[in-house]
Amino acid sequence: PCSSYSSGTGPLAQWMLVELQGEVEPRQSGSLAGSLLGDLHYTCEGIPVLIVGHHILYGKVVQLEKPFAVLVKQAGAPQPSPGEPQGHYTVTALIKTKLLFKTRPKPIITHVPKKV
Amino acid sequence: VSERSRAEVDATLQTAKLNPAELLPAVHCVSFGPQASAGECCLLQLEPELCAELEAGRSLVIRGEKDEQAVLCSRDKTYDMKIADTSNMLLFIPGCKTPEQLNADPASCNMIYSQIAGFSKNYWELRRCRPKLKKLRKLLMEDPYEGPSSQKDQTSTFSKYTTEDLFSLIQASEEEILHQLQVIDACKIEGRYWRVLEFNYEMKLLDHVTQLIDSESWSLKKVPLRTCLEELGSLEPREMIEHILLSYGRKYIDDAGEVYFEMREDKICRAIAQMLLQNAVKFNLSEFQEVWQQSVPDGMTTRLDQLKGLALVDKSSRPETICLLKVEDLPEDNQERFNSLFSIREKWTEVDITPYIQDLCAEKQTVGALLTKYARSSMLNGVKVYNSRRPIS
Repeated sequence: PCSSYSSGTGPLAQWMLVELQGEVEPRQSGSLAGSLLGDLHYTCEGIPVLIVGHHILYGKVVQLEKPFAVLVKQAGAPQPSPGEPQGHYTVTALIKTKLLFKTRPKPIITHVPKKV
Repeated sequence: VSERSRAEVDATLQTAKLNPAELLPAVHCVSFGPQASAGECCLLQLEPELCAELEAGRSLVIRGEKDEQAVLCSRDKTYDMKIADTSNMLLFIPGCKTPEQLNADPASCNMIYSQIAGFSKNYWELRRCRPKLKKLRKLLMEDPYEGPSSQKDQTSTFSKYTTEDLFSLIQASEEEILHQLQVIDACKIEGRYWRVLEFNYEMKLLDHVTQLIDSESWSLKKVPLRTCLEELGSLEPREMIEHILLSYGRKYIDDAGEVYFEMREDKICRAIAQMLLQNAVKFNLSEFQEVWQQSVPDGMTTRLDQLKGLALVDKSSRPETICLLKVEDLPEDNQERFNSLFSIREKWTEVDITPYIQDLCAEKQTVGALLTKYARSSMLNGVKVYNSRRPIS
């Protein structure tokens, strides 16, 4: 069998990739859906700054030498296992840019207890 | 979860001790979209030419049966697919802007609510590979066409393959498949199904043509299609006569609009050699060369280099011998191909082995590079030879 990846109608959307170290976990147990990741700012020099929980992450904007295509599974198709890409997908978007956050997160210190 | 307000964003900046004056005014409040965890998105890393194809609106196809390793095909290229793991988390976010985009559009709003569509720790990586075309020949050889007089076709239970069937079964791009069909001289019989001719039937057709060329004393460079069809049309179907001329000749049209063929000497000599060699395991080389030259049409000259990839000469035996060894009968996988060659002959010179490994070369790869990777070299009687890197059982 084979599966087709077409771009469908209309021009492809351009998305962005954000690359973070470590895992993404929900704050409370339950799904991630709807929960906030954080605020993404840029300095005037164009450096991305991501505030996630109690951490500040500094990153950089990278133009990808090899862009990514985002494939979205179409409803009703069987669940493919990681080794099997077969299934029915559509190319939904292209990603040509990523924000790479590789530096160690700087913790935000919200309260410094005073020495008695 | 309600949307964050400007006041909340500013409060966070203050807590983080960041100076708003050093930041662009716009902020992205990034949250996880409703389907983010569903795992329905995945990432495919594109070679630059594929990106251009997608942007031009063309599609990509993944091909492979359950027992095959999947490949990705564009319209004219084939790629191996492999999962690449990163230790990092990749989030993919629609509608997220770069600093350049924000600066270019001063009217853009300064609260941007972005929803993460999905995330992954891995992605599919592509590497250009040789199209996997051996299966094409195998499928078509299940049921070669033996001519209209053969009863086989009526009673045949074998599958017949249309172009679309081949596109879905063969792990190669459409252009690579169509090109290979031409290379193996396949033809469409009954308008729909691709067939290859059974070799003896093919030789019979060729023989009709070469006999006619001889009896008409035509130049080998100027064989008229019209007369061939007239003279041979009672013996064989017209499509078959035209097909054999297209397979073994180069078509051209003269100023008067008449179709002619310039016969391909090398290909005809090679086919006749195959016909002779398939009848026995091994031949005395000099006897073979004599019979071979006598068997080809007048005006054609046989040369051993016409048989590259078809026959193997053994110069070490006394007398020297020649036997049939067709590269298309050998395994498609690199390591298996070398194993097979080394089990046929322990040591090979580069000249002898090249026709049997040339087709394994990837884009920009040389035969020398393949030999370095899969063989070990040594000197034998002053000549460089290659043998297996591992013991062959």
